[in-house]
Amino acid sequence: MASLDSLRFVFVTGKGGVGKSTVTASLAVSLAARGRRVLVTSTDAKERLSLLLGAPPLEPEVRELRARIWGVKLEPSVALREYGAMILKSRALTSAVFDSRYTRGFFAGVPGLSEWAMLGKAWYHAIEEAPGGGPRFDTVLFDAPATGHGLDMLRVPRVIVEIVPPGVLRRDAERAWAMFQDPRQSGVVVVTLAEDMPANETVELCQALGGELGLPLTRIVVNALVEPLFTEVERGLLLQPRSLDRDLPGNEAIACGVRRAIRERVQEESLAKLRALPGERIELPLLFDYAPGPPTVAKLAELLR
Amino acid sequence: MPRRVAAGQLFLAAGPAGARIGRIPSGSLAPPCYAPRAVSRPTLEPLIAKRRVILCVGCGGVGKTTIAAAIALAAARQGKRVLCMTIDPARRLANSLGLERMATEETTVPRELFAAAGLEVAGELTVVMLDTKRTFDDLVTRHASNAAARDRILSNRLYRYISTTLAGTQEYMAMEKLLAVQSEGRFDLVVLDTPPTSNALDFLDAPDRMVGALDSAAMRWFIEAFQSTGRLSLNLVARSVSVVLRGIGRLTGGGFLEQMAELITELDDLFGGFRARAHAVAAAFRSPEFAYVVVTTPAPAALREAEFFAERLREQGMSTDALVVNRVHRRPRAQPSDAEVGTALAAAGIALGEGGVARLQRALHEEESLASADTASLASLERSIGADRATIRVDVPALPGDVHDLGTLAGISTLVGG
Repeated sequence: MASLDSLRFVFVTGKGGVGKSTVTASLAVSLAARGRRVLVTSTDAKERLSLLLGAPPLEPEVRELRARIWGVKLEPSVALREYGAMILKSRALTSAVFDSRYTRGFFAGVPGLSEWAMLGKAWYHAIEEAPGGGPRFDTVLFDAPATGHGLDMLRVPRVIVEIVPPGVLRRDAERAWAMFQDPRQSGVVVVTLAEDMPANETVELCQALGGELGLPLTRIVVNALVEPLFTEVERGLLLQPRSLDRDLPGNEAIACGVRRAIRERVQEESLAKLRALPGERIELPLLFDYAPGPPTVAKLAELLR
Repeated sequence: MPRRVAAGQLFLAAGPAGARIGRIPSGSLAPPCYAPRAVSRPTLEPLIAKRRVILCVGCGGVGKTTIAAAIALAAARQGKRVLCMTIDPARRLANSLGLERMATEETTVPRELFAAAGLEVAGELTVVMLDTKRTFDDLVTRHASNAAARDRILSNRLYRYISTTLAGTQEYMAMEKLLAVQSEGRFDLVVLDTPPTSNALDFLDAPDRMVGALDSAAMRWFIEAFQSTGRLSLNLVARSVSVVLRGIGRLTGGGFLEQMAELITELDDLFGGFRARAHAVAAAFRSPEFAYVVVTTPAPAALREAEFFAERLREQGMSTDALVVNRVHRRPRAQPSDAEVGTALAAAGIALGEGGVARLQRALHEEESLASADTASLASLERSIGADRATIRVDVPALPGDVHDLGTLAGISTLVGG
């Protein structure tokens, strides 16, 4: 994981339900264990990162969660106001622009603005300097929203670069976009499952990253793998059509074996697709833990080392 | 008559030998390993019978598209002319309906396909994928006062980005399209698979956000400052207003305000129509013809989102009409001894290699673990949403693979929609 260690900005993306937050938390713990100062950020109002890290809920201000790990919740309205205050440099003007009831609906209605406010704040923390000089954080982990492809958010700075005329907003979007595209500074971690749909979508996502977006794919994390219990020959035997007597207790095991054989085949085929993708891959086992917390994260962080 | 399929059988997807790797063999629900057992459990049948629109909501990755298709198929089997609108290309689902892919043109599933799968479909099933840009374009075309105004908007650079690239537009357009389709009366029922937003509520707020932006004073100022001269002139507005606009201008770079003002002024022509439309969309949410089906899995994160959504519907005086819990792991029916497993293997003529019995036992044990976790997290759901007796609750068992064929989809549709 040498290259992950040197990145300033890591964008963690993946479809809902693949364990994205769990992987983000585990990455944070793993990086912190190697001495990096990590900031985890979440765009989700009901974020689980804090729970996974054994800390109180994230707040709109940066808080230390545990040794070498900080966290912040990215709230669009708060982030936008902060950004405005930074640029306008006048409290009265900031207040006139953002606190007026006349502009409130307007900002909420400009598509893409909320996304930029959140992403821009995370980016700002990635380049932020500590009071004594040097970077405040070594790595910013961005737990992206679980939208269809998680790409909408990544596209926003590029859209700004393309449509907004030169000015502060455009300048910042350009700097952020340049950083996101630089493989020495930033990377995308795609979290997925070895199942049909997630694997196919990951293939499409990786194509978009390498092609249309030009963003560096750092890792593919394949989560929740079951251990193959049967050989392909045995799976074939289990999957032969047959009728089973419901009342024979042993048949429950055979029925279970049938399900397992199908699952293993799906997993194998999906893994083959994922293994054909460029870039490094991390494969994590299913931990049979539906309500993961700090212990799960500690275990996965160990595996991510 | 299609056979009624019990929930348990969905687990028992056995197929012909040599089935392609990774594929649940076609017709995996028939013949089932176990003989069919008649079960009576609640389904969404009452909603299908009485409502005009069924909205499937839930966070991403819970199988919303599949559940929406299953509901639509159930409705078609019950004689309805039904339209299933999806947001994703959902190629697998298209394939399972015998289609190449979900298209942005309406496609009616051919009768022969149903017949080939042994399904009796009295109604008609049409599927379509939402085309955000085209829906937006249609809206502009419909409300523009003349062709020149329409063309100016459609070719505006900012408009092109707003209508295609940016997040947030999709949610609104899904509702817009829904209303447009519904008003035509070609379908008895529309089933909508809502966009996979990180927050299932986003789409509910979309019309309000749109109206809010249209009605905001800032929008009016832009028009006022721009309209008469064709250039953005801050001298035309009150001083306090120009301070705010200049402030925004410093954030965005000056030229951007002109671009915004230009688009907003063009759009002004449409505002009346837009606003009325957005109000109609917002009102439609509360119509008794709409049913809300919250789709979730037993995973705590998905359940939290489901509970949050139900809570939000309640606040707004609406109700969660049904709760579909997808991918529920079933507890094994028996815990056979090693000897019993050995006997069963011999009787079935399955010759597994060394340690086969132990490995089957381990597979059973792992299923048991998953089932226990599901049971625990669903207990809390029962306490919150489940307490509302008006909510129909349907559990759909976890399948070992994806839904690839009409047979499997029909199995789910029976469970969900009767």
